Amino acid sequence: MGFLLLAIPLIAVLLFSLMKKRLFLHAVSITASGLIMMIAVRITKDVIDYGKVEYAHYGGFFYLDSLSIIVLDIIFLIGFFVAVYSVQYLEEDVRRGKLDFKKVRLYYILMHLFLFTMILALTVKNMGIMWIAIEATTLASAFLVGFYNDRYALEAAWKYIIICSVGIAVAMLGIIFLHLSSIGVLESTELLSWTALMENAKGLKTGTARLAFIFILVGFGTKAGLAPMHTWLPDAHSQAPAPISALLSGVLLNSAMYGIIRMAAVVNKNLGSSIYTGRLLIAMGMLSIVTAAVFILTQKDYKRLLAYSSIEHMGVIAVAMGFFTPLSILGGLLHMINHSLTKSMLFLCSGSVLQKYETKHIFKTKGVLKLLPLSGTAFLLGLFAIAGTPPFSVFVSEFGIMMSIFEAGSYLIGAALAILFVIIFAGIAIALFRIFYGGNEVSGLEPGENNIPGALIILTLIVIIGVTGLRMPESIIGLIYEAQSIISGV
Amino acid sequence: MSSLFDTLSVMILLSSFVLMANKRIKSYIKTFRIQSMLIALAAGILGIQSVMEEGRIDVLVICFIIVVLKVIYIPKLMNKTYSSVEYKVEKDFIWNIPALVLACCALVVFTYFSISTIDGINEGFNNIQIVNSVSVILIGLFFMISRKKAIGQIIGFLVLENGIFITAMFSTNGMPFIVDMGIFIDMLTAVMIMGVMVFQISDKFDTINIDKLNKLKG
Repeated sequence: MGFLLLAIPLIAVLLFSLMKKRLFLHAVSITASGLIMMIAVRITKDVIDYGKVEYAHYGGFFYLDSLSIIVLDIIFLIGFFVAVYSVQYLEEDVRRGKLDFKKVRLYYILMHLFLFTMILALTVKNMGIMWIAIEATTLASAFLVGFYNDRYALEAAWKYIIICSVGIAVAMLGIIFLHLSSIGVLESTELLSWTALMENAKGLKTGTARLAFIFILVGFGTKAGLAPMHTWLPDAHSQAPAPISALLSGVLLNSAMYGIIRMAAVVNKNLGSSIYTGRLLIAMGMLSIVTAAVFILTQKDYKRLLAYSSIEHMGVIAVAMGFFTPLSILGGLLHMINHSLTKSMLFLCSGSVLQKYETKHIFKTKGVLKLLPLSGTAFLLGLFAIAGTPPFSVFVSEFGIMMSIFEAGSYLIGAALAILFVIIFAGIAIALFRIFYGGNEVSGLEPGENNIPGALIILTLIVIIGVTGLRMPESIIGLIYEAQSIISGV
Repeated sequence: MSSLFDTLSVMILLSSFVLMANKRIKSYIKTFRIQSMLIALAAGILGIQSVMEEGRIDVLVICFIIVVLKVIYIPKLMNKTYSSVEYKVEKDFIWNIPALVLACCALVVFTYFSISTIDGINEGFNNIQIVNSVSVILIGLFFMISRKKAIGQIIGFLVLENGIFITAMFSTNGMPFIVDMGIFIDMLTAVMIMGVMVFQISDKFDTINIDKLNKLKG
């Protein structure tokens, strides 16, 4: 059953390369991601019932527990939404002569390969294979970032592939040191396997494991967009087609963060305390939030602004994982879910706005609420949500993280975080709220949605983040608690 | 046996110094090929050793893949890319060569002192092979910074990968086989994608000088 999760995207890719009509491409894409969603429901139920899903085939590489299923379910959900949204988005681009059939096919092939690599990264327990899959995400998405093939897109794609490949190579060095620290402790069949590492964490050589953590933090941190390795992120997110930006921001960053969390769990258990990893994670997280705050205040491009906001939220998750108290881990995991859903919704909205106005410049975009009544309203609400306004879900998790920080006694960091949240809220409000008002006489565009299915997807997402902000379903809360105890290693 | 590997690791380090001192893109590719040959040699010796002692052939398979990929295919690909995008020879580096080589020496000293403080790597003596191979990684990284041409960056990335590969080989006698295979596939794809992008950049910007990629800021 679980292998279908990996097989379906690959079968879809195969089908895409055989097809001759755009309509079929769209249909296969939606069917594939819909099917995966259905299987995911079943697998999630298994994980809730039995705690983990493991198969003995092929050396037992397939492994799912509560932590991976949380991140994985976000991928499936957003993957499906993005597949639906892409249909009209691509059709609109085709209508304007920006794309031809071959490009559309390439888009779908790469998008499903991208999904496949992320699913692979999350369904294996071998840290080495996880590394391979995360490196492959860069390769699959590099051409998607440079999809429009103009000077800007190419610059973004080149930066993306060079910075991320080097970063990931550094993570490889970390994994080599992790391997080195476990030699003589693990059996030769379970080398690099995360479960075995976690079980025998106390036996690892401490010095090498600490070194490994630094390299993995820098390496996967590059991919997760933590400052100061974040420089590829605003470029890639702003130049990629909007649905791909939604995937990059909502899903890819989480997958990289997942690698860091797994590693931090092993090293913390080895050291017996979280001070070492905590300091590094908190320092990097705070730096990311500060960087994002500065750039959000002076931003002229709305997609870049959203990208910087992603850096901020990854920073928040890193800080939460740095504190490593049960409450902060819960908050961090919840924040992963909430940020992904909210940010992908915002990127999808930005896609609709971009296709309407054909500019990413904030000052050249006016009267979004009049021109795009549905997605414009959702965009406005989503901005409130991402800035941390109740009743949306991001507020809940940010509040939980703040509480845990004050409970841990770090008043200085808590206060700094509160001030930075306010600055970022003000930055988003000042920079972006002007696009919603004003008449359409300047632009002379017709009001109305171009992408009706897309608008419905956006509405679904805003309902989800509104409702989960008020009340998270019990089963998901249970999963998060389970994942928290896995990370804490108790 | 260990002194043989010491010598090989020093030679691989030296080859990365030579790379840093190279002025033309053709010679980068040549130096990279020599370095890969040295690595293949080391992997071959290690492979024969492991066949004799444990009957494992996976290291020999990896040695064969290195020869095919890094000694033959990738340098050929790079040469092909280079000859079809480059029109004239320009100065390609940020500082002058002696300064760059001195900076590399500083990197080696830095690695020596940082590795020597870590327990678990050194059992009683400094593991010179790991110092050398980590230095190769840092020099590869520094090479990427020091060159302005896109192809220079790709070569820097490849040297960095070489460094990581020999770190794995010298410190742990190689990673699990499937992981090593995955790394090769990833690396090959990465280099091919980068190569295609070099074509596109040269097409849109009329140069492969990445100083010109400066539109996206803030």
